[in-house]
Amino acid sequence: MKAGDEFSPQRPGKDYGLVAVMGRTTPMVDKGPEGTLPSWPHLFVREALLFLGISALLLLMSILISAPLREAANPNMSENPAKAPWYFLNLQELLLHMNPALAGVIVPTIALIFLMTIPYIDRSLKDVGVWFSGHKGKLIALWSTAYTVPLLIGLIVFNEYIRVRSFISEPEIIPGWIIPIGIMGLLSVGLYAIIRPLRPNTREVLTAYFTAFVVTWFLLTIIGTFFRGLGMHLTLPWDLPPGALSF
Amino acid sequence: MISRLRQRFRQLPDQVLRSSLWRSIFRQGYPDTDENRVLVVMNSFFLHFHPVKVKANTLRSTYTFGLGLISLFLFIILVVGGAVLTFLYLPTTDRAYIFIQELHTSVPFGALLRNSHRWAAHLMVLAVFLHMARVFYTGGYKHPREFNWVIGVLLLVITFLLSFTGYLLVWDQLSFWAITVGTNMAGATPFIGEQVRGFLLGAEEVGGEALLRFYVLHIVLLPSLLALLLGVHFWRIRKDGGLSAPAPVEEETK
Repeated sequence: MKAGDEFSPQRPGKDYGLVAVMGRTTPMVDKGPEGTLPSWPHLFVREALLFLGISALLLLMSILISAPLREAANPNMSENPAKAPWYFLNLQELLLHMNPALAGVIVPTIALIFLMTIPYIDRSLKDVGVWFSGHKGKLIALWSTAYTVPLLIGLIVFNEYIRVRSFISEPEIIPGWIIPIGIMGLLSVGLYAIIRPLRPNTREVLTAYFTAFVVTWFLLTIIGTFFRGLGMHLTLPWDLPPGALSF
Repeated sequence: MISRLRQRFRQLPDQVLRSSLWRSIFRQGYPDTDENRVLVVMNSFFLHFHPVKVKANTLRSTYTFGLGLISLFLFIILVVGGAVLTFLYLPTTDRAYIFIQELHTSVPFGALLRNSHRWAAHLMVLAVFLHMARVFYTGGYKHPREFNWVIGVLLLVITFLLSFTGYLLVWDQLSFWAITVGTNMAGATPFIGEQVRGFLLGAEEVGGEALLRFYVLHIVLLPSLLALLLGVHFWRIRKDGGLSAPAPVEEETK
């Protein structure tokens, strides 16, 4: 007798069992020794303490540091430097080196698409729940950082003091599109080339690129925030004009 | 006399926990037995999206650094503080800036309110970004959590947009030119740049129209969308068996 017979005699093939609906077991079935703790108190105490900690930190910060307030908005008097909010300064930094469409729209869109497709590229189920998936992953993340940071700083300094546009400024498509795309492409290929001797699997290749993304995001944000002064030129943090910090 | 009082006093918590008033609200006694520890989660609206039991591994502070929770807590603080701010704020070009000034000069705890809203917003952007990095580096995006990762990326984008739309509302030089720079970037979109920029600003330049649009986005549409996706995010965590953890004894086959 099928499980559903007594409920649906008209349609003997129909099955009302939950197992049939789901077609699989609940996520915790057959997951080895449990190693679980009751949420009360173990999780809730941590949550409560974290909330208190965050609140206390925020309160302290808000008492000690006042949010900036400049003069009222005046469309006729532009700020110098005029900076986006800090989390967009990485894009604004790109804006100095390439066509605005590339810097402000295409590159961030590609970055977002890359992020969203990560789980569909890496289909392996191994190494979940282990930071960097172990020693090799950590090594690859470090390699990626060591590769990204000096190259990015080098490129930024080069474009500030020597300038690509001092060699080729016409037509716009060369310094605006071809050179930046070429450099970004080369950097991406180069990253794969330096980790290839380590014989990385898919997860580790993604680790290299994700790390490069995170490092780039932070590095460009830091440079845009603390090292860009009048006219968005490179400046040391202590030489920034008053009000250049865009918090 | 004293000893009787003391005894009464000692029994008091027990009596409260057994009282029909307490039971009508919480439905079970203090969660110091396994049964009550289950019931306290099942019976509470505020706790019910937690599992009754959690993997010990995911409780380690160096595993998650609490970044997802920190993001959530900052969002709650932002919603509560932001709601208070809306009682006083008007999104018009001649009133907005004066309101912010008044927060610093004449509204009780106004500066505290504003500062905490601002710093919480910045911290939330940072926390959400770091949370994403944590999930990546611990492999938390892997099957069956692929789509929850995608929702997470969307939540990051909405967090950016929330912070960005709030930035204009101060209506000082910093916010005006930051939004000008930001929307100019959006205006560089190939083919439809002018339309995108016009859609955001409601005009040629940053002005009253943009202020109103950003205000509505900031206090209604984006927070609602964030809350909705947050609900899905948490629901899927539960459906996928809690936070990611090291593989069990045998590996699941696809």
